[in-house]
Amino acid sequence: MPVLLLITLLVFVLLHAAPGDPASMLLGQENTAADLEQARRRWGLDQPILVQYFKFAAAAATGDLGKSFRFSRPVKEVIAERLPATCELAFFSILIALTLAIPLGVWSGARPNSWIDNVGTSFGLFGISMPNFWLGIMLILVCAGSFHILPSGGRSTYGVAGAPQTGFYFLDSLLDGNWAALKDAMLHVLLPALALGANMVGILMRVTRSSVLDADTEEYVITARAKGLGDRAVLWRHVFSNALIPIVTVAGLELGTLLSGSIIVETVFAWPGIGSLLITGVTSRDYPLVTGVVMMYTVAFVVINLIIDALYAVIDPRIRY
Amino acid sequence: MPSSILESATDAPVATREARRARRLPLKVVVGGAVVAALVIVGVLSPWLAPHDPQYQALEAMLKPPEWLGGAHVLGTDNLGRDILSRIIYGARVSLLVAFAVVLISGAVGILLGAISGYFGGKVDFAIQKLVEVVWAFPALLLAITILAFLGQGLFNLILALVAQRWIQYCRVVRGQTLSLRDRDFVAATRALGAGSPRVIWRHILPNLLQISLVIGTFSMASAIISEASLSFLGLGVPPGIPSWGTMLADSRSYISTAWWLALFPGLAIFVTVLGINLLGDGVRDLLDPRLKRAMKH
Amino acid sequence: MSAKKLLVLSVLAVFAGAAAKPTDASAQTRVTIGVTETMETYNPYGDSVSLLYGIWCQVMGCLGTYDFNKSEYVGMLAEKWEVKDPNNWIFHLRKDIKWHDGSPLTADDVVHSFNRVRNDPQSKQGQNIAPIASASVVDKYTVRFTTKQPTAPLPEYIFDRLIITNRAIYEKYGAETADRKYPIGAGPYKFKELVPGQRFVITKNIDYPGVKQLKQAPDEIVYRVMREDEQRVTALLNGEIQIAQFIPPHLQKRVESDPKTKATAVDSVEIMFLAMQPKPPFDKKEVRQAVCHAIDRDRIINTVLQGLATRLDGPIGPGQYAYDPNLKPKYDYNPEKSKKLLAQAGYPNGVDVELETPVGRYTLDKQINEVITQMLNAAGFRAKLLTPEWATLWSNVQAGKVPFYYMGRGSIVDPSVALSQYFETGGSPRIGFSNPKFDKLLATERQTFDPAKRKKVLSEAMSLLTEEAPACFMWRHKMIYGMAKNIDYKPTPSGRMFGEDMRVLK
Repeated sequence: MPVLLLITLLVFVLLHAAPGDPASMLLGQENTAADLEQARRRWGLDQPILVQYFKFAAAAATGDLGKSFRFSRPVKEVIAERLPATCELAFFSILIALTLAIPLGVWSGARPNSWIDNVGTSFGLFGISMPNFWLGIMLILVCAGSFHILPSGGRSTYGVAGAPQTGFYFLDSLLDGNWAALKDAMLHVLLPALALGANMVGILMRVTRSSVLDADTEEYVITARAKGLGDRAVLWRHVFSNALIPIVTVAGLELGTLLSGSIIVETVFAWPGIGSLLITGVTSRDYPLVTGVVMMYTVAFVVINLIIDALYAVIDPRIRY
Repeated sequence: MPSSILESATDAPVATREARRARRLPLKVVVGGAVVAALVIVGVLSPWLAPHDPQYQALEAMLKPPEWLGGAHVLGTDNLGRDILSRIIYGARVSLLVAFAVVLISGAVGILLGAISGYFGGKVDFAIQKLVEVVWAFPALLLAITILAFLGQGLFNLILALVAQRWIQYCRVVRGQTLSLRDRDFVAATRALGAGSPRVIWRHILPNLLQISLVIGTFSMASAIISEASLSFLGLGVPPGIPSWGTMLADSRSYISTAWWLALFPGLAIFVTVLGINLLGDGVRDLLDPRLKRAMKH
Repeated sequence: MSAKKLLVLSVLAVFAGAAAKPTDASAQTRVTIGVTETMETYNPYGDSVSLLYGIWCQVMGCLGTYDFNKSEYVGMLAEKWEVKDPNNWIFHLRKDIKWHDGSPLTADDVVHSFNRVRNDPQSKQGQNIAPIASASVVDKYTVRFTTKQPTAPLPEYIFDRLIITNRAIYEKYGAETADRKYPIGAGPYKFKELVPGQRFVITKNIDYPGVKQLKQAPDEIVYRVMREDEQRVTALLNGEIQIAQFIPPHLQKRVESDPKTKATAVDSVEIMFLAMQPKPPFDKKEVRQAVCHAIDRDRIINTVLQGLATRLDGPIGPGQYAYDPNLKPKYDYNPEKSKKLLAQAGYPNGVDVELETPVGRYTLDKQINEVITQMLNAAGFRAKLLTPEWATLWSNVQAGKVPFYYMGRGSIVDPSVALSQYFETGGSPRIGFSNPKFDKLLATERQTFDPAKRKKVLSEAMSLLTEEAPACFMWRHKMIYGMAKNIDYKPTPSGRMFGEDMRVLK
């Protein structure tokens, strides 16, 4: 809780201190000084920062995150509208990353320093060595542009999906039994998820590889081998399941990078999620919106961190606080 | 990006096969080291290496494709007729400067705070960790954007914005390691022998940490270069007077289908550099592991 | 592992059956337009964006619009209007316009809309009615606008900008619900769907007078937000969209060379200029004029903009109200003269200046300014370029803190408003220019209702402006629209897109 307060305070101060004034951002270029003043008064911007902050905090405590300047709608509503998009994107990014990373990591770890290992590691390194927006643009160019196999952006094609129920296009289309919509949604999410997930592939692969390498010398593996279990069985049954913990740990922690990366990827692919919302908010100095989004991020982070800390204690019982 | 977590989660002994291999310098270190060395050389010697003035605009020669076989512009010209090869050579300077500065500063801050935090525990630990949490919860990019919006454009401001989020990587890992080490026998032994806290930190804990930090540092350098590119992509990077790979990439955004070389070469430059750094880091890590294990046995 | 394999296989299977283009079973014609501006709110008064003004005018209704083909204002909801006395305008509404729920559109609705613009807490359009003191009902189909002072350019303020919404619905359901759930308009197109940040969908309203005959006008229009240039062009070439707004010059060839698409260029009404605050060194007229002489505008237009701009030799260009092709002085490209002027002003060894420009807000803004910076440096200046973030730059400009910057001013049909804003004393701190003679001329033209006389006064004012050069007027970009070959549409310079002007050919 105190962390939440600190963070929101930090956001507030930073945003307000930054040059840039929401009123002039949002009124057209033809506005007059009187209009600006009126707008500022309406939004309570003419009051000192601390007063504004307390008003916000008080409202937030009751669950009211205020009204976005730009969207003229409650912040909660705007966020709720966009959140499923980012969640879906994040989910598929991790899915793709895991699908690529785990097999690569396991094969590399099982035969360290072989050509497989080198290929695998290189592949992993490629992933973390490319700026994700560059990858995104190249993907659009090749897949959507040259080969016309995939859509160039956005989340869905107009007219295909039914009315949104949960906001998660995949769930909605499954609920509706609308296969066309499901396919459409999948096509749209593929490229952004690839661009976003590429970074993670590298890291997850390396974690997997390390775990596999380390586990190789653990006693239980040696015992298993001594018992006569073949390499393959040892690999998958023991090594893998133990490697899972650090993988999950890292994946969870990578969520932070993912959310950060989603900001750019969403911009490149015109993906209507929280990332692009954040950019819109910051560039138009929409204080309530940005504060609301950051609060949301914070809550997510706090939750994840708690889980990770708990996991740490489980992994290494020597750590005492 | 943050491979720090990777380190603390999987820091562990390596099979003896590996240890023997590690006695010769692995390929990774050689290749990676070569790339980094090349980068430094290019960066330092740019004025002598670049065939043209990187800022000279030849408006009638805009968007010329690369002339591989030794024309005036080996890699082509950009959207204002500037020679791309020269801009890439000069761009190395910015990438180097940003990378090293960010890593050194964030490393120094992070390691120090992390070691203190882990060693002393209690209230100090609590305070520092709270700070880490606050900064950690901020999406990195947002923090950078906000700081830059606040400070304005500039190379130094950019470095500051990048450092603001990075130091916590070191802090966390170092703290974790310190916690582990603190309770190990050799530390207790040293304490029993009468060594004061600072001495323990300096003599025993930091040297072990430095090796990990070195590895984190190389990866951090790589990610700093990518972050600079990302911020430039959003228009918040280096001001226009200085050629930087990130800004070149940002400028190329609209030309990808018509002038692919604008995006390819800076992107490639970033890619190769970062790859090289990562290889080096990887190799160094492998190299240090057996030694690390031995060191921790004291 | 087997579970994962199954997942991977099933995913692959789905993609194996994938087609590039979504199938559309509807027999109606639909035109999807890729736009760069965004649409965020259901409240017609909640945004001040050129694209949305155009859409809301189609869906709700506007009093009138500027017809660029005829070079005059034509009525939409208003049939005719007159100036009763210098401070009172009377607008006569058409009697055959009905709201989409059947009720007639009356003067009540117009007055209600006016009040909403002024009083709605979300309203960002207050500046559009700034000169109007009040609106009142004269009779069922007649409205009177009373201005605070004689305002000859009144149509510039309210045509294309004052959105007329339904009073009865608003009073019945209240602001939020009325806008969200009952977007009942009276225009030639009906509101179908708005997904904030993504798309706005409207359908043809055959009950609107004259629309039924427009058989080839699209039955449905989808405005899709697509900010990235490359993506927009790719979508156009893919067939995902039929019209792509604002194609940058270097991508025009790509659109032209594809057999399915074509590119159309239209002069925009946005003037681009370099503004200079009258503080040292720009307090001296010679320095300002030196800047204007230092820049080879033709070269920039021919190379960087690939010919896709029209040079401005004054604040406005052809097609805009009161344009005078013989405006003097004209600034030719003459860096030597610049150096001489600088020496005259007391800077024989050059002068340091900082130029600021936004990035990505205007066509090739950063690129152009990099060239401008070099040109300035070759003409005796020592110029440094800064590219601050838009929010920062804009608020600094508004606060009068930026001495030298590149900017555009859009939506100018009648220049009076813009000129007053930027160059009249007390207009706004953006430039801070003050010239009593100019002020007098502007005040005169505002009160001159006779078109011929007014144009003359405006001409004089603009001539004075060009001579004093508080800003160097650069050019107007040509906006390029990419279109599928089966779309017949002539884009308007103002960026408003009306479905009635479009034809979908087979």
